[in-house]
Amino acid sequence: MNKKNTISASDEIISHLKVLAKEKEVVRRRLAVTAKKLAVTAKKLAAIAEEKELVRRKLAATAREKEVVRRELAVTADKLAVTAEQLAATAREKESARRRKLAATAEKLAATAEELAATAREKESVRRKLAVTAAKLAVTAEKLAVTAEKLAATAEKLAATAKEKESVRRKLAVTAEKLAATAEEKELVRRKLAVIAGELALTAKEKEVVRRKLAVTAAKLKRSYETLEKKVLERTKSLEMARAKEEAILLSIGDGLLATDEKGNIIFINKTAEKLLGKKSKEVVKKKFSDVIPLEDEKGALIPLEKHPVNMVLVTGATTAALPTAYYKRKDEKRFPMAVMATPVILNGKVIGTIKVFRDITYEREIDKAKTEFVSLASHQLRTPLSTVNWYAEMLLAGDVGELNEKQKKYLDEVYRSNQRMVELVNALLDVASLELGTFVIEPELTDICKLTKHAIREQKPQIDAKKIRFSFSCGKSVSRIQADPKLLRMVIQNILSNAVKYTPEGGKIGFSITVADKKNVLMKISDTGYGIPKNQQDKIFTKLFRADNVRDKDTDGTGLGLYIVRSIVENSGGKVWFKSLGGEENKGTTFFVTLPLKGKEKTVKVVRINK
Amino acid sequence: MKTQKTILIVEDEKSLRGAIVDILRLKNFLPLEAKNGREGVELALLKRPELILLDLIMPEMDGMAALTLIRKDAWGATVPIIILTNLSAINGHALADAAARTPTHYLIKSDWKLHDIVKKIEEILEV
Repeated sequence: MNKKNTISASDEIISHLKVLAKEKEVVRRRLAVTAKKLAVTAKKLAAIAEEKELVRRKLAATAREKEVVRRELAVTADKLAVTAEQLAATAREKESARRRKLAATAEKLAATAEELAATAREKESVRRKLAVTAAKLAVTAEKLAVTAEKLAATAEKLAATAKEKESVRRKLAVTAEKLAATAEEKELVRRKLAVIAGELALTAKEKEVVRRKLAVTAAKLKRSYETLEKKVLERTKSLEMARAKEEAILLSIGDGLLATDEKGNIIFINKTAEKLLGKKSKEVVKKKFSDVIPLEDEKGALIPLEKHPVNMVLVTGATTAALPTAYYKRKDEKRFPMAVMATPVILNGKVIGTIKVFRDITYEREIDKAKTEFVSLASHQLRTPLSTVNWYAEMLLAGDVGELNEKQKKYLDEVYRSNQRMVELVNALLDVASLELGTFVIEPELTDICKLTKHAIREQKPQIDAKKIRFSFSCGKSVSRIQADPKLLRMVIQNILSNAVKYTPEGGKIGFSITVADKKNVLMKISDTGYGIPKNQQDKIFTKLFRADNVRDKDTDGTGLGLYIVRSIVENSGGKVWFKSLGGEENKGTTFFVTLPLKGKEKTVKVVRINK
Repeated sequence: MKTQKTILIVEDEKSLRGAIVDILRLKNFLPLEAKNGREGVELALLKRPELILLDLIMPEMDGMAALTLIRKDAWGATVPIIILTNLSAINGHALADAAARTPTHYLIKSDWKLHDIVKKIEEILEV
């Protein structure tokens, strides 16, 4: 090996080592720097940890705030419930006030009619009596006058007789004088004759007195006859005045008034009636009422004669007959809604005619419509916050944003279920509003009523089971499909069924059967062993927002709209609904009956299907 | 993983819109928000979402007008639209309108659970 080479190699190694030492020094320094940096980073991390703690606390605070918000939501839900109840109460009050008013008006009119009839009756009888009295007096006066004349004639005759007798007497006196000279007897005779003559003269005088007295009596009678005639005249005049006054009153009544005779021919119409009908009194009097006032229904079809209140009063002898909604088209083609009421005019127990009262109810109709539209809009507005509560509660309950503990779940479930009730109430209100607006679309199709009912029963199953109710259902084999709108039919079945379940205590029984009633109808029968409907409230049970007292105490859930909806739908579909209930006696139960025509009703509005 | 489906929500009520957005995100959709009909139409034509949830009663432009405009567009003529409203389909006119403009569905908000709405969307989009 070459030594030089070896040395140079070791030098190289040394210099290399030196370089390495230097590099190490550099590395060491860098490490020191890094260590310092790490210390800084550690401090920063500590600061970050502190901040995080702060953030955590803030989050906790936020959670608390959210809790507060949730409570406020609950309060809002309560308030909504109260508002809905107030709305319901207001609607109820208005409805009953309106009815009361109508009833009162009808009664008053009937009373007025009767009073008028009675007055007329009295006056007529007075007038007749007076006439009879006057006639009698006239006859008496005539007789008296004749008697007086006769008496005067008699008196004159008597006077003539007396004169003749006087002449005889004189002649006799002459004869007597002649005879006196000759015979005493003759003197006697003469004296006697003189006495007789004297007596005769006396009689003549008396007769003259009688004659005069008779003349005086005749004059008196004549005077009293004249006074009587005057009195009769005066009385007749005042009667005529009263009649004119009554006529003026009738003419000026603010409602249209029309009177007919017992055959339905018009005998009188007042000014308001002239204005409403656009016809003058002389155009209509003596004409048949139905020719003068043809009434139409909502769709413009003529209302048949047998449904006219006047006809009903005349034919059936009803005490009042009303047609709350009819339309009348005037000559100028202007159509307006009219409320009509007729009452009979009774004289001596016999119907002698009718009085018909009618008025233009355009304004009332507008108010009704505005009211219903308000309910519809309000329902829509109410649904928005309800949807919000629904959806957020749903997400919380589903654990979409983290699991809740049992208590939280329970509370939230209460919120959710109350909100659901509110949704149901709003939906029912909306149904009622649209039923009243007439915007419910009836869409009949062949519907399997048995299947639909089974489905509705299945929906109620949890409630039926919870109350341990024994439930039986039967559907007659011959029950075929019927023409009905399934969504409306479902509403009917659901409402009656849920009522039966709701108002039957634990362990009770409910029976539901569907049979063919006759060739044209199907009959549903739902009987329960529930609380029953109090006797004194049975006539109100289908009234909107009405709830019987006995269930009001037990169950606060009802809306008072269910049976109203049921009746509206059933009657609009050409069916009938009624019930039997042993009112007042607890737990004797109720049975509801619903009949529906197999063929259903014609489709009213053409509608294109939409999915739901 | 396949791309998220875009859903346009046209709803003026902020709280309701928020709830739908939340649930859609949770179910792996991509929600777009519009707070009235006008915004809805603009966004629909610009972003062409897979499905549109459309409210009816809204300020500026209501849902029916928006529906008409969207359906006039070549793309918009066939996009599935769910009318999601609190207005009952009782009004004859609204119903006929809705029917003529062929929306896919008509749902009442207060009667529908969010999860069921999502199911409906998944059904339509075959997710």
